[in-house]
Amino acid sequence: MSKYGRTLQIGPTDLTSEKRTPRQPLHLIPEEARASFVPFAPYNFNALPSEADMTRLAPGRPRADGEPIKITGRVTDQYGRPIRKSMIEVWNANKYGRYTHIEDFSGLRLDPNFLGIGRMITDDDGNYEFWTIRPGEYLAFPDISRWRPKHIHFSIRGGASRLITQMYFKDDPHNDTDPMRILMGDNFDANIGKEYEIEGDEFDCGYQFDIVIGGKNPTFFEDI
Amino acid sequence: MTHSNKKINRLTATNEDTLGPYYPISLCDNDNMDMTKIRSGVVNEATGEKIIIKGCVKDKNGNHAHGCLLEFWQPNANGIYRIPETEADDKIDPWFTGYARHRTSDGNFKLITIKPGVDDEQKTPRAPCITLTIFSDGITRVVTQLFFDGDPHNDTDPLLQSIPKELRERLMLKALTRADDGTVIYNIEIKMAGENETPFFDDILS
Ligand SMILES: [Fe+2]
Repeated sequence: MSKYGRTLQIGPTDLTSEKRTPRQPLHLIPEEARASFVPFAPYNFNALPSEADMTRLAPGRPRADGEPIKITGRVTDQYGRPIRKSMIEVWNANKYGRYTHIEDFSGLRLDPNFLGIGRMITDDDGNYEFWTIRPGEYLAFPDISRWRPKHIHFSIRGGASRLITQMYFKDDPHNDTDPMRILMGDNFDANIGKEYEIEGDEFDCGYQFDIVIGGKNPTFFEDI
Repeated sequence: MTHSNKKINRLTATNEDTLGPYYPISLCDNDNMDMTKIRSGVVNEATGEKIIIKGCVKDKNGNHAHGCLLEFWQPNANGIYRIPETEADDKIDPWFTGYARHRTSDGNFKLITIKPGVDDEQKTPRAPCITLTIFSDGITRVVTQLFFDGDPHNDTDPLLQSIPKELRERLMLKALTRADDGTVIYNIEIKMAGENETPFFDDILS
């Protein structure tokens, strides 16, 4: 007979969430079927070192507008074991809150020196590092004045590790009204980048954002 | 670390978050929705009965859910999933990975693949099925599995049998038409919320 797991919550004031969140509780997966829910994505990608520097379009090109920041972190499972050689994809709005995405119709200012898309592969200890511009906040839904706080999107893929998440900034005034943040409750702290100082004037500061891939699903470990 | 304190020492998982509307489309440039050909320009193809699955993802109001990122995962014609543990298995098809990914701009998708097989050596064999993961704006990841309407293995599939009968119908791929070359085309409509909502599964608490 059917056994139920979580019921997904609808993000308050989030119109898309209202349209797309399943209303019925999720069904628990019987043990015999659980392994079949863990895709193993073949590695068919590589990232160039320059793809981790989002502050310019290419080495030697001018820096984008805004404050350059460095983001560092480590990707592990819940036992602290490193997730190695995983592809991390990141994307964020420019200083003015605009994405280069073709479906960003906000009309906010574009920066000719900012693409807002980066990629990198975690090292043997699960570490990653990239540089970007501190993103601007933006109005997600102008008709209801809903702001998105400053954030950087992350996707981790390759192997069995798949996670889509966002890194937020402490003390952003829009954090408290963000629908997804409200759903996270006290766990929200885990999604805040921890600020640290960087000497010199190349970066405004650094942020440490460690990512823990959760769930009871098995993680495939390979020797690469 | 001893077994007893394993739980205490577990790190808190990072919250999953919504995909948002701006996942970079160019990051999908190498994605492939033809599982029968993992490498272009070579004669080798996946073994099995080639099929086409045409589907759409709809929201609560019945409108197409644009901008979703879809991941498909299935075993090969022998019913074996290709994972590190099975890589050297005799029953692995070297020309088949079972993984596909696609960003749908308009909510529709078309997957070319082979019909998944059944691994009879399993104590509880799974019916032929395809795992579907949806990442989208407004929600965190949701997962389900799609089955083949009328397949005799459905009657004993542990997942299908674990949900109420009236919901099983919503996970059925239906063979309605054929392509010009005779390939069977299956159809499915995924309803994310509301009336006729597709059953989704909890792969975190399970
Ligand atoms: Fe965003």
